[in-house]
Amino acid sequence: MKPASFEYVTARTVEEAVRALADSEGEGKCLAGGQSLVPLMNFRLARPPLLVDLGQVDELRQLRHDDDGSLVVGALVTHREVAGSPLIAERVPLLAEAAREVGHAAIRNRGTIGGSFAHADPVAELPCVGLTLDAEIVAAGPHRRRTIAAADFFQGPFTTALAADEVLVEIRFPASGAERSGWAFCELARRRGDLAVVGVAAQLERRGQRLSARIGLAGVAGRPVRAVAAEAGLSGATPDAASFRAAGEAVAASLAPPSDIHGSAALRRRVASVLTERALERAARRLEAA
Amino acid sequence: MTEQARPSFIGARVKRLEDPRLLRGHGRYVADVRLPGALEVAFVRSEMPHADITAVDAGAAREHPGVVRVLTGSDELVAGREIRGDWRGEIWQTSAQPALAGDRVRFVGQPIAAVVATSRYVAEDAASLVVADYRELQPLTSARASLSDGAPLLHEGWTRNFFRHSHFLGGDPDAAFAAADGVLELRTATQRQTGMPLETRGCVADYDVVSGSLTVWMTNQMPSVVRTSLADVLGVEENRVRVVAPDIGGGFGVKAYLYPEDVVVCLLAMELGRPVRWIEDRREHLLAAIHARQQEHRVQVAYRADGKVLAIRAEVLVDSGAFSVHPWTAGLEAGNALSLLPGPYTIGDYECDAYAVATNKSPFGPVRGVARPAAALSTERAMDQVARATGLDPIEVRRRNLIDARDCPYTTVTGNLIDSASFQEALDRLCEVADYPQLRRQQAEAREAGRLLGIGVACYAEQGASGIHEYLRRGMPTIFGYETALVRMDPSGKVLVEVTTHSHGQGHETTIAQVVATRLQVPLQDVRVVYGDTSRMPYGMGTFGSRSIVMAGGAASAAADKVRLKLEQFAAHLLEISADDLETVDGAVRAKGAPFRSIPISELARAAYHQPHRLPQGMQPLLEAVSTYDTERGTGTWTNACHLALVELDPGLGLLDVQKYVVVHDCGVIVNPTIVEGQLHGGIAHGIGGALLEELVYDEWGQPLSTTFMDYLLPSATEVPRIEAHHIETPSPFSATGSKGMGEGGAIAPGPVLAAALEDALRPLGEVVVTELPLTPERVLRYVDEARGAAADASGDR
Repeated sequence: MKPASFEYVTARTVEEAVRALADSEGEGKCLAGGQSLVPLMNFRLARPPLLVDLGQVDELRQLRHDDDGSLVVGALVTHREVAGSPLIAERVPLLAEAAREVGHAAIRNRGTIGGSFAHADPVAELPCVGLTLDAEIVAAGPHRRRTIAAADFFQGPFTTALAADEVLVEIRFPASGAERSGWAFCELARRRGDLAVVGVAAQLERRGQRLSARIGLAGVAGRPVRAVAAEAGLSGATPDAASFRAAGEAVAASLAPPSDIHGSAALRRRVASVLTERALERAARRLEAA
Repeated sequence: MTEQARPSFIGARVKRLEDPRLLRGHGRYVADVRLPGALEVAFVRSEMPHADITAVDAGAAREHPGVVRVLTGSDELVAGREIRGDWRGEIWQTSAQPALAGDRVRFVGQPIAAVVATSRYVAEDAASLVVADYRELQPLTSARASLSDGAPLLHEGWTRNFFRHSHFLGGDPDAAFAAADGVLELRTATQRQTGMPLETRGCVADYDVVSGSLTVWMTNQMPSVVRTSLADVLGVEENRVRVVAPDIGGGFGVKAYLYPEDVVVCLLAMELGRPVRWIEDRREHLLAAIHARQQEHRVQVAYRADGKVLAIRAEVLVDSGAFSVHPWTAGLEAGNALSLLPGPYTIGDYECDAYAVATNKSPFGPVRGVARPAAALSTERAMDQVARATGLDPIEVRRRNLIDARDCPYTTVTGNLIDSASFQEALDRLCEVADYPQLRRQQAEAREAGRLLGIGVACYAEQGASGIHEYLRRGMPTIFGYETALVRMDPSGKVLVEVTTHSHGQGHETTIAQVVATRLQVPLQDVRVVYGDTSRMPYGMGTFGSRSIVMAGGAASAAADKVRLKLEQFAAHLLEISADDLETVDGAVRAKGAPFRSIPISELARAAYHQPHRLPQGMQPLLEAVSTYDTERGTGTWTNACHLALVELDPGLGLLDVQKYVVVHDCGVIVNPTIVEGQLHGGIAHGIGGALLEELVYDEWGQPLSTTFMDYLLPSATEVPRIEAHHIETPSPFSATGSKGMGEGGAIAPGPVLAAALEDALRPLGEVVVTELPLTPERVLRYVDEARGAAADASGDR
């Protein structure tokens, strides 16, 4: 454990953090739970000359719902809090289910949702859920705060729309407006607690007689992706085994996943299909029970 | 008084005496050795699998603030410092591993330079400034590629790319194949895996310029042997070299070598006159500590319609990496595979060619199980295929082929002498305790419901405590044929035992104490067992090859007996009774049949040291003895076991859920059941890692891809099932305590067991033969497809 040398500052407000980043001419990095950044530094794969510790910025710990019904999760809310929060379980249960798949207890205790979004590992669970639920990311820069749609936020492997002098403040999950919904997060990991080889987030929503589906995938591209064709195929359909199988097949047909030592492109495509079907089945059972 | 009345600690579930120290974090490891003024080393490692080094520019590194010395492969200090491990067999080609590569590199991770600085951080900063230029050569990344025509030769003077080729012919396989009712062929493969101790390697060297003596703290399983090796390579007189192997956080075979890094650290300490320290990081461990297990077998099996296996022909290719290691050589894994492939079965006709092939990968060495996991995969998969071909249950086929324990000592076709065993009894017991018929019913019901349950079984014999005869037969350069113990009773009657094995998880401080306390009839807490410092201990070999309880236990028993005999002779003199009429029981020497005539051991001890005038004429005061020990014939001991697993297959994701894992195990007399079970659990976890998860992957260009714990997947608590262990105790007639070595065996069976269970689970989909590990989702899904394809083909044929 031997990172290259770096400076370390503690920020007490978002503004202080932004200023420190700006002063470092975009070379600094924010430190939240450190669960991804610190290992990268220890391998010297990341060599930020400055770490801005966000740990004392209270604003980033908020967890609330806004008047418009959206749920607001501060960047420093830990995976453990996400997984266990009654508010999240009520408003965005898909997020809570996915958070339980993140790492091990020790990692969930320290790792944060903002860190996970900003790190943008293409196999990570929470960014996938963010994309699936059309979350919005609020970032603070030297001059203003702005809101970025998840679809625009995740740009590629470990690459986001955040500028070098921006701090991720919070993530907003808009109210779905559905009368009833069912959800599921399913993944293939080599071991319990590992990053997913492939993860699938699914949510079925009913508005009146109309059924719509959201399906997001992790581990099949350089960033989380929505299974647009499969979603469209399910829209208005009867949620049954045949439609879920068709959705799985549509997912497989739409992907050109990468290969690594944990899974070839073919494996990922195949598993994405199986997991989509399983996630939809579980979501449908919850929809029925709702 | 009878033998039974003597207090005995043999077989007692004594809690480990070392645990209060280790579990509270009070263990003292190499990384805890902090010497004033110590410098730290960072190694620069080859990024090329096979290349000529055309230039190394260390100028910027030398200028870096805090850097004391940059050593490259062309430096005079390392000139000619080579590590060799030469097998003494008929067909052998040698290699010389330089301490630092000067002109050619042969694997990614091979050290080419060392940077010495005031801290590891600074050393790493400077190491990244060292620039090497290479002329790339064709990398050889598989055993087959290395043996192919036109492959570049990896070492000077070689004719083909193997260290070792052995041919074995026993019995008359041609006749057996001709007479067989059936013949089948298998091609099995096991992947590159290694031992992954919690504590990585490390070395701290301190040279005293005045006395010319060198002290080296290192994570090493064999401190005596490595002291000799260091003296040889460094050119320092051995009586001026002290090796200290303090607490070690696991070894598994990976720490039983002299490594290039050790040599470099010592040379630097000697040159600079300051302590020099290197603690390996995990990436270095994955790159450059020895690897193991990667084998390919082609096996032909001749069998009779009644399930009897008549003969085996095999070709074994071991992907042995770039250099032959010291002191084990690159030949051991190939040799063991050849020797052990017939397994615990009465196969009399056997022919095998085994090659230790050189490739551009990290050097290969023995790791827990040494070739047995690969050998057992072939043997046990063959038994299952014979079962399928003959329509017999896999258990029944094994029953018909296992060696009859009544024939022990039994000499196998390859000349292994199995001292004693309970092969048949263990298999019967396994069926009983696992309720095999009930498992089959459960499987049938699950299949009715569309679930894929599979059952796998494997049997093995685990060679351990190999002695003089065995190591001679194997052609090892060093004959690791004995261990040594010193037993010293002090004036207060307390006992210090110094053993030459090393304990790094095995619990010797407890088990050896149990043996000695029983022999001396003193309380267990009065016996302290120490090890690991060559300045104190007598010479011995170390811990490896499932030997310690037999070899160190035997040596400690013998030394304790000498001390006890002396106490009895002294007491005889004081009591004026013949020593033959005395016995030592429960802390006192006393007259047989008249226990009131006795002297406490503590009194005798005090008198021996402080009242020497009371000793009989000619008796020396000290109560200490040294003994070496080898097993009766030097052929070692053979533990036997059967493993069974019940798994459920998820055919969608290619995942195996191990729902039940049962072992029946016979390692002779058990000194401490808790410790035996701990070893068994650890071995099985290692085996499950090999069966499902762990793989050191190299790409086709020779680049290692498994360089972090995100890529090299160890089984964790959630991947290791609950293990149910049952014991049989068939004493070894060849060991002093009746015990047998057992530290490696757990790792042998999980591969074949889980392969068999997968194959069995797939049966409702179609027939396949599972022959390759690890069973990753990718590979499992391939077998799923193959099974479905086989079923489709079969129905198409009809």
